[in-house]
Amino acid sequence: MFGCAHVPTAPPPPHISEISDGDDQFRASQRLVIEGLDADESGDTARALSRYERALQIDASNPWVYLAFARHYVEEGDPGRALSHLDRAEALLDTQEPASPGAKVHCDGLRGAALALEGNLAEAQPLLDSAARSAPDVWGDGVLSASELR
Amino acid sequence: MPGIAGRGRRSSLGAGTDRVLRALRPRLRQIALAFLGAAFAGGFAAAAMVASLDRQVRARFEGTQFRVPSRVYSAPDILYPGLDWRRFGLKDALSRLGYREASSSRDLPPGQYVWEGSRLRVHLRAFEHPTRPEPARDIAISLSGSTISDIREIPGGSSVGAVLLEPEALGAYYGPVREQRELVRLADVPHHLVDAVLAVEDQRFETHSGIDFRRIAGAMLANLRAGRVAQGGSTLTQQLVKNFFLTPERTWRRKLREACMALIVEARYDKSEILEAYLNEIYLGQRGATAVHGVGEAAHLYFGKPVSRLSVAESGLIAAIIQSPNGISPYRDPDRALRRRNLVLELMVDQGRLDRADFEQAREEPLRLAMVTPEPGDARFFLDFLHRQLTDIYTGEQLTEEGLRIYSTLDRRLQQIAARALEEGLQQIEKLRPKLASTDPAHQLQGCLVVMRPQTGELLALVGGRDYGKSQFDRCTQARRQPGSVFKPFVYIAGLEPRDALPTITLASFLDDSPLEISTPAGPWRPKNFDGQFHDRVSVREAIERSLNVATVRLAQDVGLRNVVDVAERLGIESPLQAVPSLALGTAEVSPLEIARAYATLASGGVRPETQAIEDVVDPSGGVLARRELRFLRVLDPGTAYLATSLLEGVAERGTAAGVRAGGLRGPIAAKTGTTDEERDLWFMGFTPDLVAVVWIGFDDPRSVGLAGATGALPVWRRFVEEESGGTVRGAFPRPAALERAEIAPSGAIALSGCPEHRTEYFLPGTLPTTFCPDGNMFGRRTDRVDHDERGFLRWLRDQF
Repeated sequence: MFGCAHVPTAPPPPHISEISDGDDQFRASQRLVIEGLDADESGDTARALSRYERALQIDASNPWVYLAFARHYVEEGDPGRALSHLDRAEALLDTQEPASPGAKVHCDGLRGAALALEGNLAEAQPLLDSAARSAPDVWGDGVLSASELR
Repeated sequence: MPGIAGRGRRSSLGAGTDRVLRALRPRLRQIALAFLGAAFAGGFAAAAMVASLDRQVRARFEGTQFRVPSRVYSAPDILYPGLDWRRFGLKDALSRLGYREASSSRDLPPGQYVWEGSRLRVHLRAFEHPTRPEPARDIAISLSGSTISDIREIPGGSSVGAVLLEPEALGAYYGPVREQRELVRLADVPHHLVDAVLAVEDQRFETHSGIDFRRIAGAMLANLRAGRVAQGGSTLTQQLVKNFFLTPERTWRRKLREACMALIVEARYDKSEILEAYLNEIYLGQRGATAVHGVGEAAHLYFGKPVSRLSVAESGLIAAIIQSPNGISPYRDPDRALRRRNLVLELMVDQGRLDRADFEQAREEPLRLAMVTPEPGDARFFLDFLHRQLTDIYTGEQLTEEGLRIYSTLDRRLQQIAARALEEGLQQIEKLRPKLASTDPAHQLQGCLVVMRPQTGELLALVGGRDYGKSQFDRCTQARRQPGSVFKPFVYIAGLEPRDALPTITLASFLDDSPLEISTPAGPWRPKNFDGQFHDRVSVREAIERSLNVATVRLAQDVGLRNVVDVAERLGIESPLQAVPSLALGTAEVSPLEIARAYATLASGGVRPETQAIEDVVDPSGGVLARRELRFLRVLDPGTAYLATSLLEGVAERGTAAGVRAGGLRGPIAAKTGTTDEERDLWFMGFTPDLVAVVWIGFDDPRSVGLAGATGALPVWRRFVEEESGGTVRGAFPRPAALERAEIAPSGAIALSGCPEHRTEYFLPGTLPTTFCPDGNMFGRRTDRVDHDERGFLRWLRDQF
């Protein structure tokens, strides 16, 4: 079994702005993700997508870009794209050593939210419940805002 | 009766005359009728002609006024702290984008830069795009050696994480006429440019009705004095009409039609509409083989900026060259261009269009031209590939006439490096084997190189052949060739992938490389190795590192040919694959692009991306017609993908691809060579964590190159990656946390204390070897050599009983 769900315990969910371990490309990519999240927060979705795309151009192995994409698409009500990017994020997070702390919470929550959008409440609810239990301040309302991920 | 008397008197004046008159009367009537008829016919013909000309004018003005070729752009370059700006080629990039070096940083306008010791100050131009615009930014880039150490906004000094340069124009899809223009609205054209054009080309434009008789008289006088045609009398409207509808021949008939149409145009349309059409139509020079029309395009050509940002002096120059864009070209004869520009400025003053102070300032402005950047020839194969994709969505006319802006994924820098690496590699082979060299394009040694970003499937570079000018056939996307041993890893992936319960092989397994005979409909088939030897029992690593045929064919038989086909198709091979024994040795024909896509899936941990060549397509009104969608599909579990990658890393370290390290290239590389029968196709596939690149070399008419993939294709790949990476490949292949690690003895057993030789290998959960070195010494087991999670350990314990 691979994916975020493999992380045995869930530490507090991370803020992307706190994750800076990596090389210059990763850091530059992270700054663009943060700019994208800020744009998403202010409602400028086109700019947000553009920032995420450029973040990928600099470092396509940065899992947080895909997570930001997934969050964006959940908010846009596009579960297909959200799940596709979530798969990518999970694949990359899973291969990081050590596994990114707390990433499971966001993965579970976003997957649950995307599945709920698809109408698959049977699979969605346990994931959303799990995320809410692990991080009630963030996932208590079943929504991950751009500022909460930032 | 007076009447009679009169008649009698006239008769008395001359009966002969009267007779003549009487005789002429019917003739006169006929002549009068003829004149009347002729006048009527003439009037009718004239009316018909006017109506016809009117139809032509309306069709042009009210239909598609200009056919604007769609233009293709590269992906934007990104600058960020840590970037090696020398390797990136920052100076060249700025130059290609038309940025000009300024002498001082004071009031640095967009599109200019200045070096200040170890700091580069650039005023980045705005990038206009409907959904992802970038504002103009004045930034200071601090440089430390060859690295960008910091980027800051000039006002405020705030730190910037990354800045984007505008995408570069790669080329355009031209129709029958190779001309390019950027359409501008009159509202976007600075008034001083309009004034400059009117001052020199048609000073009474605002008041005449299409024809300026004073100007014609003046021109005739000047021509008479000069004894030749020294001056034209055409108004701006006549020039527009001539360019729109007529040929350049100098005949009265053409002149008459021109005058007539000019009157029609003036009668039907506003002066502003006519002026806007003129400013977009006028020919203003050449960019290589492409004619540049309109002030919008000219502003980019000569000054590297949008028309709205032209200064008075720059506007004067553009107006100055209308008369003879090539003769007065500022690139060809800057002094002449400067003299004529100043003449235009003087005319503007004389006509009250420019005040004296602005004139003095403009006259002192030196010529500061942008570097002419002809469309790069090295991206032509990519443009063709894109065109084939676009014609699924758009018609040929749309692409050649509607002025679409097509933003692609091409990395301009990688494209240049790829083109250079391929050409140098082919030249090197011809130097090594002079008999292969040929000047006949049909018999020339050919090659191709395709580069993808594995995580996203973006096409970063594509060189489809040696010389696009001589052969436009794209060997990377249009050719289907046998891949030879480049196909073998699909067999090993099928073996490593757990089906039902356990995989057929692990990285500690052994394969049988003894003689093999397989019955086929064509008779018995006995595969042989490249060295003609059989090696009996070989490790999985040795089999792939030495690219052993027999062991691989036997493994394919064990795994099942249908499973091999399944793996190849899941990874991204789309060409038909026959489940025949020789498939394992790469006898099915595929394209290099397919190979790149399949290995991109492996490089991205088993997640297959869709191939992407387009970011988005924008129409002239700013509507986004198409936008890429990044889509991913997991087709292989990440553990199997990592194990296969690890095998291919071994090929690059110790096997047939070890030559990639010959120049000192460092960092993670996974690779595979390929050579087909009689050395007709030489392949090299290699990937790093950030890119996958595939090289093919051979002849279009398949014949022997006389070299192996490792000698012919590998050096091209090495050149490319060495230059791209600067000698050190970044990152690491991601290893799934769930894999189990163990020290393995050469026998394939788990190495315990006392086992003299061992190496580290990774295993899917539950697939650790069950034998030990030294034999059966379970309690002497070195626990530090087996590292797996609790479930794996429990499973191992369970397996012991």
